[in-house]
Amino acid sequence: MAWLSRQFSTRVIVLIPIAIAINIVLGYTVQTILKLPIYLDSIGTILVGVLAGPIAGALTGILSNLIWQYAPVIGGGTIGPFAITAGVIGLLAGIWGQLAVYRSRPASGMQLIVAAIAAGVIAVVVVIPILNNPAYTDPNVGGYPSWVYTAAAVIAVIVAVVVAAFIYVRRDLAGLWVAVAGVLTGIVAAFVSAPISAIAFGGVTGGGTDLLVAALRQGGSDVIHASLGQGLFSDPIDKTITSFVVFIILSGLSPRLLARFPLGDRLVRDRAA
Amino acid sequence: MTGSSGTVPPDRGPDPSVANPEGSAAGLPAYVLRVPTGTYRSLNPFTKSVVALSSALVAFGVRGWTGPLSVLLLTAAIALVAGVSRSLRRFVLATIPIVVSILLINAFLYPGATDVLFRVGPFAATGTGVTVALQATLRVVAFALSVAVFSLTTATDDFLADLERRGTGRRLTFVVGSAIGMIPAMASRATEIVEAQRARGLDTEGSVRRRIRGIVPLAGPMVFGALSEVEERTVALEARGFSAPARRTVMRILPDSGAQRALRWLLGVGTIVVVGASIAGRFPLP
Repeated sequence: MAWLSRQFSTRVIVLIPIAIAINIVLGYTVQTILKLPIYLDSIGTILVGVLAGPIAGALTGILSNLIWQYAPVIGGGTIGPFAITAGVIGLLAGIWGQLAVYRSRPASGMQLIVAAIAAGVIAVVVVIPILNNPAYTDPNVGGYPSWVYTAAAVIAVIVAVVVAAFIYVRRDLAGLWVAVAGVLTGIVAAFVSAPISAIAFGGVTGGGTDLLVAALRQGGSDVIHASLGQGLFSDPIDKTITSFVVFIILSGLSPRLLARFPLGDRLVRDRAA
Repeated sequence: MTGSSGTVPPDRGPDPSVANPEGSAAGLPAYVLRVPTGTYRSLNPFTKSVVALSSALVAFGVRGWTGPLSVLLLTAAIALVAGVSRSLRRFVLATIPIVVSILLINAFLYPGATDVLFRVGPFAATGTGVTVALQATLRVVAFALSVAVFSLTTATDDFLADLERRGTGRRLTFVVGSAIGMIPAMASRATEIVEAQRARGLDTEGSVRRRIRGIVPLAGPMVFGALSEVEERTVALEARGFSAPARRTVMRILPDSGAQRALRWLLGVGTIVVVGASIAGRFPLP
């Protein structure tokens, strides 16, 4: 019980509505003004998870989607049922926060080069189990067309290069862990979203990503596997970008401010060491 | 600070200048009570939320035509009685992108369907696909409209005040109320930031690579600006006894009745039974 109430200090209670508003407004702005094929509607959720813990993160995610559906001016649409996915994302972010994934870890020289290479390798390794997933390989289950493999491999290489460059330029090992956390969150989000999308909305979401669903269906996938294939494409990219945005935001906040949150001690660098 | 109908402090007394025709137990002036009027609006917010939640569950949980169609009819009837059918148009328009997507992708690309209706180029529309597409469309529209009717007929503060009276913690009430209140302010701040960054040369029209570079100049100021308020708000809340152990007294008691309570139980239990039986395949509906 103490573990739970520690996650909901007054400061966190104040942060949660701000995070919800950030999720909704930023998600809406990125999708309508920058017109990018990603969602970016979980920055607030991940921020609360990392600063306060899993339950606070999950609550932020769930309430964000429910309020987005209900909100008097920008509401409507079909975001509501995805509250389950948002809750899982917040839960995971809380676990990353407790594991101190987002703590800055300055390094130099060899260590940095090794980490940059490791990040690249991990990005590729994470993609291999997705490609070997029976949903993709078994022709009786998924039956994805061959370009899916090529595209996934190309994206994996791009992500690997970008992450390695981020680690090298910022001279910070944390980039490695932030990327891993983002990719894992994205994969879990895709697996949670696919059944929701298939059961509630006939497998589509009404966004630009539906083109991908159509292509996968044309290739012979069934409803749920087409949604899953689309999710495994979009979500890891989206959550990795979100993860890095949250990391950049956190490293821009003063340690004095961060330390006041329940998980602040896992974010502030130990100066004495 | 317990009990919902506290007595009026003797040093203040009821204000005789305020019209108080209802003569409510707490002796509150009418501008505090603000009881909503109208056939559907005047129902207790909790009743309306149970109606919306049951509608959503039935629309998604009862497969085939029956679930979505009955919810759509009920929602339309409520919208007519409450007089919000005009404002509902905006919510119908909001579902157009997903409806188009559902219709096209399922009608033409439904996996394993062979009963071809007609062909457009290399794509064939199948009977199975069209059926699935229409059912999914009805589900989406029925769900979106049932939430929209709830949103249009219920003021947020009424709903939250009622929930708090029923025992929801003040923390949840604050989180939801504050988030809903903050969205318009945050949206106008986002617009300001976009304009300011455009004036400084942010490219919101160029290639995908350029637009991705726009994420941090957009998200950064918004998040930092919002987070700078956390300290002030925390201090303000603490100074007003937010973390005090006692319950807050709710002054606005919205009318409720035995009939509404019975209706809520009936709807709630009925929905669970119907959805459960439908998922278990107990009674096949068209």
